[in-house]
Amino acid sequence: MNRDWINLGLAAFVVLFFVFMLAPILIVVLVSFTSAGYVSFPIPGWSLKWFAHIFEYQPFIDALIVSIEIAIGATILSCLIGVPAAIFLARSRSTWASGVMTFLLSPLSMPMIVIGFASLFFLSLIGVGISFAALLITHTVVCLPYIVRTVAGVYAGMPRSYEEAAAILGANPLLTFWHVTLPLIRPGIMAGSLFSFLTSFDNLPISYFFGSASTNTLPVVMLSYMENQFDPTIAALSTLQLLLAVTALLIVDRVYGIDKMTVAG
Amino acid sequence: MSDTSLQKTSPGRRMRLLAPPFLALPAVLFLVVFFVMPLIDNGMRSVISNDGGFTLSRYVSLLTDGFYLWIIAQTVLLSAGVTIISIMIGYPVAYFLVRKAGRFSGLIIFLLIAPLLTSIIMRTFGWQVLFARRGLVNNLLVDQLGILSAPLRLTNSPEIAIAALVHVLVPFMVLSIATVLQGIDTRLEESAKILGANRLRTFFEVTLPLSLDGIGTGAILVFMIANGSFVTLVLLGGGMQTLPLMIYQQFNTTRDFGMASAMSMILLVIAVSCLFLQLRLVRRKGT
Repeated sequence: MNRDWINLGLAAFVVLFFVFMLAPILIVVLVSFTSAGYVSFPIPGWSLKWFAHIFEYQPFIDALIVSIEIAIGATILSCLIGVPAAIFLARSRSTWASGVMTFLLSPLSMPMIVIGFASLFFLSLIGVGISFAALLITHTVVCLPYIVRTVAGVYAGMPRSYEEAAAILGANPLLTFWHVTLPLIRPGIMAGSLFSFLTSFDNLPISYFFGSASTNTLPVVMLSYMENQFDPTIAALSTLQLLLAVTALLIVDRVYGIDKMTVAG
Repeated sequence: MSDTSLQKTSPGRRMRLLAPPFLALPAVLFLVVFFVMPLIDNGMRSVISNDGGFTLSRYVSLLTDGFYLWIIAQTVLLSAGVTIISIMIGYPVAYFLVRKAGRFSGLIIFLLIAPLLTSIIMRTFGWQVLFARRGLVNNLLVDQLGILSAPLRLTNSPEIAIAALVHVLVPFMVLSIATVLQGIDTRLEESAKILGANRLRTFFEVTLPLSLDGIGTGAILVFMIANGSFVTLVLLGGGMQTLPLMIYQQFNTTRDFGMASAMSMILLVIAVSCLFLQLRLVRRKGT
């Protein structure tokens, strides 16, 4: 009897918890379909006009293009330098290698606003200034840890025997990498790239410091839009973004399996 | 004898050929130049006075002036509050997930991870819609239930900002605790019950102490992220003044870059302390 009450209470608590978790998200999705000219709830009728409005506001479109370019660029750059590092670190047991791993993951632990503020001054000092390149560099700093962690996590769980077999059969290190290692770690690269893309795409504290007409990312433009007006366009844009993220996640899941992605924790 | 030792070492040597240390060099160099150097540069800016000399005056005022001390205190208190609330909410959910959810565990994990896919702007906007003048909560209180005669002004209050931060961070807490709970040998709990302990005593004397590592891991993670949180506070702030907000303000309006650098360094010291604690916890778990 007593035991049932405790279990029931616990289950009710978990249900309330998910109401709390989902309410702020679902309400935005609902508001994006409102026919009203302002943000209100419950909504008076359904309409797609706020989705159309996104495309009438040119700064959103410009910023969306910048955001996509930066997110893809930073992810590619992170893969180019992060995948080799992860391959080495996943198989090395020396203490200094674990030190290197900690160092490569450390940008995740630092306040983004500090990274953004400090990078703005440093990059101006070395002549990069407020530019596309500056945005690409700072985004890579915070994207790199996701690639290193996920790829190293996947690779550490792989048996060495495949590569040993390739090496014994006479493949040189480059061939072994291309035909054996790379296919093995591809799920890690895909999952890490997804995290990296979403991290860059959603980043505001760093992008904020590098704002200019040609380098404003979508979150920066959305923030300044929200500071001036409170209408359902932001809701429509957020809903589209969520759709994009869910689609990307589903594709990665369909191709590689989500369980493999969480190996790295 | 020599034959077996050869068998033992040769795969290792071959692996070293496949994954030589220089592979990590580009990533390390990149972070040294574009992550460490900016932070060093920032530290220098914080101790160089406006006329070019060396000064510690900014740190002296940050650590002695009541106004700045209160800002540092608010930053730490906010993070600590968010962490404690996350533990209290997250623990029962993690316990349910591991011990009771059964076939629903997949759904629960999905519901925990799904909010992480939404943008920070979306979640903040959601809180604004819920608590806006014409939002859901005021609508319920005023029009539907008639408890209040005029809508409450809820959006710019610290409670909403704290709720929004807990909302963003509690999934990390649940997952950290669940990982450790998963590893607890349930036979220990059964033994306690067989030896006569009731459910409550078993929980507090066996389960809870064994899951402290998960609470610790989650707490450090949540504290660290809350400590640097900025977007949520800018949009929902409610009059709270924390270090990230002050850095934003110094950069935007006051334009006292030296002071903003010094504040960044204080924030960085808190973050590095958390990272250090995190590493110690991981090491202890490893041995």
